[in-house]
Amino acid sequence: MRGRILSAAQSLHAVHDRCEFPARKATNGVRIRGSQARNAAQRLLRIRAMSSAIRISVVVPLFNERENVPHLVRAVRAALGEAHDWELLLVDDGSTDGTREAAEAEERADERIRLVPLARNYGQTAAMQAGFDLSLGEVVVSMDGDLQNDPADIPALVARLDEGFDLVAGYRLRRQDRLLTRKLPSWAANRVIRMITGVAIRDNGCSLKAYRRELLERIHLYSDMHRFIPATAVAVAGARVAEMPVRHHARRFGDSKYGLSRIWKVASDLVTLKMLSSFRERPLAMFGIGASGASILALVFILLTAFGLGDGGTAASPAGFVFPSVALVLVSLAFYLLLLGLVGEVAISGRRGIGAYELPVVREVFPW
Amino acid sequence: MVDMRRSRDPRDVRVAELVIPISQHRGREPDVSVIVPVTERPEPLVELFLEYSAPLVAAGCAYEFLFVTEPRNRELVEPLRELTERGLPIRVFEVGHSVGESVLLKLGAARSRAEAVVILPAYRRIRATALTELLARIRAGADLVNCRRSPRSDSWLNRVQTRILHLVVGGLSGGRIRDVASGVRGVRRSVLAEIPLYGDFYRFLPVIAMREGYRVEEIDAPQHPRDAGTRVHWPGIYLRRLIDVFGLFFLARFTFKPLRFFGMIGGILSILGGGILAMLLLQRVGGASLADRPLLLLGVLIFTLGIQAVALGLIGEIIVHFNAASRSPYRVQLRAAEAETREDASRFVAMRESSFVAEQAEINHPERVIR
Repeated sequence: MRGRILSAAQSLHAVHDRCEFPARKATNGVRIRGSQARNAAQRLLRIRAMSSAIRISVVVPLFNERENVPHLVRAVRAALGEAHDWELLLVDDGSTDGTREAAEAEERADERIRLVPLARNYGQTAAMQAGFDLSLGEVVVSMDGDLQNDPADIPALVARLDEGFDLVAGYRLRRQDRLLTRKLPSWAANRVIRMITGVAIRDNGCSLKAYRRELLERIHLYSDMHRFIPATAVAVAGARVAEMPVRHHARRFGDSKYGLSRIWKVASDLVTLKMLSSFRERPLAMFGIGASGASILALVFILLTAFGLGDGGTAASPAGFVFPSVALVLVSLAFYLLLLGLVGEVAISGRRGIGAYELPVVREVFPW
Repeated sequence: MVDMRRSRDPRDVRVAELVIPISQHRGREPDVSVIVPVTERPEPLVELFLEYSAPLVAAGCAYEFLFVTEPRNRELVEPLRELTERGLPIRVFEVGHSVGESVLLKLGAARSRAEAVVILPAYRRIRATALTELLARIRAGADLVNCRRSPRSDSWLNRVQTRILHLVVGGLSGGRIRDVASGVRGVRRSVLAEIPLYGDFYRFLPVIAMREGYRVEEIDAPQHPRDAGTRVHWPGIYLRRLIDVFGLFFLARFTFKPLRFFGMIGGILSILGGGILAMLLLQRVGGASLADRPLLLLGVLIFTLGIQAVALGLIGEIIVHFNAASRSPYRVQLRAAEAETREDASRFVAMRESSFVAEQAEINHPERVIR
């Protein structure tokens, strides 16, 4: 009860401080601002209060998984029981094989199941975010729609979450995939991610994860960020993350939607993630470091010229122009980076430190 | 009423034909709003109105025409005053200064009263008969219907231009949009109000709508004989189109991930520059001199360009990150039960967001709203 009042109060803070995010949820994705957003957010709070019976929301993004839908629903029902304290959100990410109809049939048969039909194929990250935005539970569990994850693991994940974590990530024991094209790249990627982000997650590719609502309100997924949710959660929202082993089955129906062609994307996203985790609050510092490096190099070339160490080149000979020119180019780089850092400060100045959802999740260490 | 016997102007006869059915609709909200932003290449607007309103009258639609214009086109809209005085549903708006077609379009959308909106260029590109099918498609549930000029009657040179433009546009729309340049569109007003429309991107309205997740269709409409001549523009115009298409491509692919684009360019340049520098360093260690090598300057320059590109990408990522909360990366499709609530919401948004622009225009220049 206390937690509920707390989170309601927190939401109210958000209503007053920054309206966009809750408003977006309440209006089904319609963007509105100002006082109307405030009303919409309050409507959301009422909806939440009324739906207090729902504790666990299971979010499953689906893309062309028609055969899997009935099995998935059956498995979730078996795992979470007949009580009405959970809901299952089937997010149809613009499937073309009749997944939507299959999900609609399940929706009609059981009121705990909801279909979230996206307008086109937006990709897994956006689909997950859609499910998160429209879910009602205090605890949200995400999983793949291809039945490779086992819904029977959900209660254990939630129990672990209740031990005081904000995010519990599953890792796949005895993974049932091809070694060369799936397991090996995944192993390498996980090593690199751990090295760069410093967040030790054994299996970033496993979608079966449980999140606390307070955490989800602080992270906004876009592009292909679903691969880095734990690292993002730690970097952006200061989440407490735990891991636990989950079962993994071989794919029964349909085709795998992944390929090997994503190395560049992952690499670029990792650079972004690293940058955000170190410098999101202070872009000027990041560019300042670059500018300093360029300045030092420029200085080296200036000194080389000044002390006549330019390999015999003199001011009169053409060879004497190369080192000073290099120094000038480097000075211009330093100047450019500094200015860009200022642009960064301008870009975030209106955005940081306002509203409850901007701050990391926090817990009283010694409850009063 | 027009005295048809005395009138020498054949236009009067046709006006009289139009006035009668419209009087039956008086007091009724229009079913169709036709928005005509009057900017480039305008033709006599009375003829345009007469031609395009005819199929609407024939279909029994209550319509309204909204001409949104800039001060430099004052003479062009002036003849419409006469038609307005005769009771035809024509509304003319004028902004205070040149604002670009996107803004004119948004102003028109804010002032339109019907949910079904037809956007017409200020010159005749297609035969008016196509409007019937355009509206039928909107009624059947399409969010936006684009008109493709087909069969075309203009020169092969123009057709080649269209083809080249659509190499990129077709790719971004999955090949489903084959003529964005026709400029004739049917669209729901609620959809128009939600599409981010600015600068020169009104040209690509169907592609943008498709990427936002709306149901976009394309119909064939015969090209108007007036549109048939060969048109070759100044090179500057082609350059602008090229930049537009590039901008569209970038926004479609990299809006949420600028570093993937800038990082690609920067990475390649840095590796190239770094390679040159490494080679020079090895030669220097081997005893060759460094200061008389202009290649050093080239290497540093290329490397610098690479760093600059990556740095820009990082700034982009910071901006995207801090804007993520206010920008939904998806759109949920409506189902029958939810459509009603959503309609209310979007009507509200349309009212609020675009009437703000309109109000600003009216506050700044109240005398400029001609009717």
